[in-house]
Amino acid sequence: MLPVSSFDKIQWLGIIFSLIIMLSVFFLVRERLLKEKYSLIWFLIGLFTLTVSLFRGLLDWFSNLIGVYYAPSAFFSLLIASAYLLLLNMSVSLSNLKAQNKAVSQELGLLRLRLEEVEKTMSKSDKENY
Amino acid sequence: MPRNIEPWGNSESRGILVVIPAFNEQNSILKVIRDIQAEGLEADILVVNDCSGDRTSEMARTAAGVRVVDLPCNLGIGGAMQTGFKYAMAAGYEYVVQIDGDGQHVPGEVNKLMAAMRQNSCDMVIGSRFLDVESFRTTWCRRMGIKVFYLLFRALVGTRITDSTSGFRLYNRKSLAVLSRYYSSDYPEPDAIVQLRKHELKICEVGVEMREREHGQSSITPIKTPYYMAKVILTILFSCVRSRR
Repeated sequence: MLPVSSFDKIQWLGIIFSLIIMLSVFFLVRERLLKEKYSLIWFLIGLFTLTVSLFRGLLDWFSNLIGVYYAPSAFFSLLIASAYLLLLNMSVSLSNLKAQNKAVSQELGLLRLRLEEVEKTMSKSDKENY
Repeated sequence: MPRNIEPWGNSESRGILVVIPAFNEQNSILKVIRDIQAEGLEADILVVNDCSGDRTSEMARTAAGVRVVDLPCNLGIGGAMQTGFKYAMAAGYEYVVQIDGDGQHVPGEVNKLMAAMRQNSCDMVIGSRFLDVESFRTTWCRRMGIKVFYLLFRALVGTRITDSTSGFRLYNRKSLAVLSRYYSSDYPEPDAIVQLRKHELKICEVGVEMREREHGQSSITPIKTPYYMAKVILTILFSCVRSRR
């Protein structure tokens, strides 16, 4: 059992914050505002902050493990590291999107030209038929 | 990466396609087209209007026998040229010549490019401002930059190129096949050299005349030069390590 009565204020804050993240992700996916692909990483981040908020000892154990004396520092480092990874992930998606956008624009431009040419020949043959 | 869709299928083989990438060139585009047509080249002309805000497209359309592609978004010179490459591949052209819409490139020099391609049987010919001809006035800064690029290319891809950023080029179908698949958006000219060398295609240079631009301004101002250099060098280094496509 979790020692709910002995929770600090900051722990409650962390728990509420994590739940807000996870619920937001859930509703965003449900309303199709967020792709499942990106939802997973956000859900995991929510789960991580929730776990750390629930079990304070976990953070102490982890900071001990990596040799950080001040436990919250370990927490921040982890969060910053994951934020970096997330940003890198976004840049990759953006590059991909840009490449796709370029290809689509080029194709659209070429198709427009093709359509003009086809329309021209069509109207020419129309005139010949009448 | 998106796949290539070829809307034209396999057409009969055609000759030379002149691709004119144009962004806000309403004042010079028609003169460029007329110059090319006056030269009597047996070539079709394709203007790629890179989403200009002015009347570039309308002006180009007033010329007879010119095809105009209007891009729905501004893709930059790389994206615009690649549109031309894709068109040439799909429509079955053997050669593509790039002539910029600002009137810098002299259409009369295309024959020199063609002659060089035949003589040296290379896959891309670059019209260089710095080989043989000394007509092109340029800043000291720019010359230094060119020297740096020359040394860089000699070290990296073992090709002697004096004017790696020149856009005045002739491509054959082999190099079009490579560049229509991948052509860098940002600094396509130096990058294309590396790409083609990776596919073991032959590149040569020939000295050409170029004109000072009559309208508009270079996108590279003196203040931006070091920044431009750094970005191009980075692009070249990246194109060397990038996997072959």
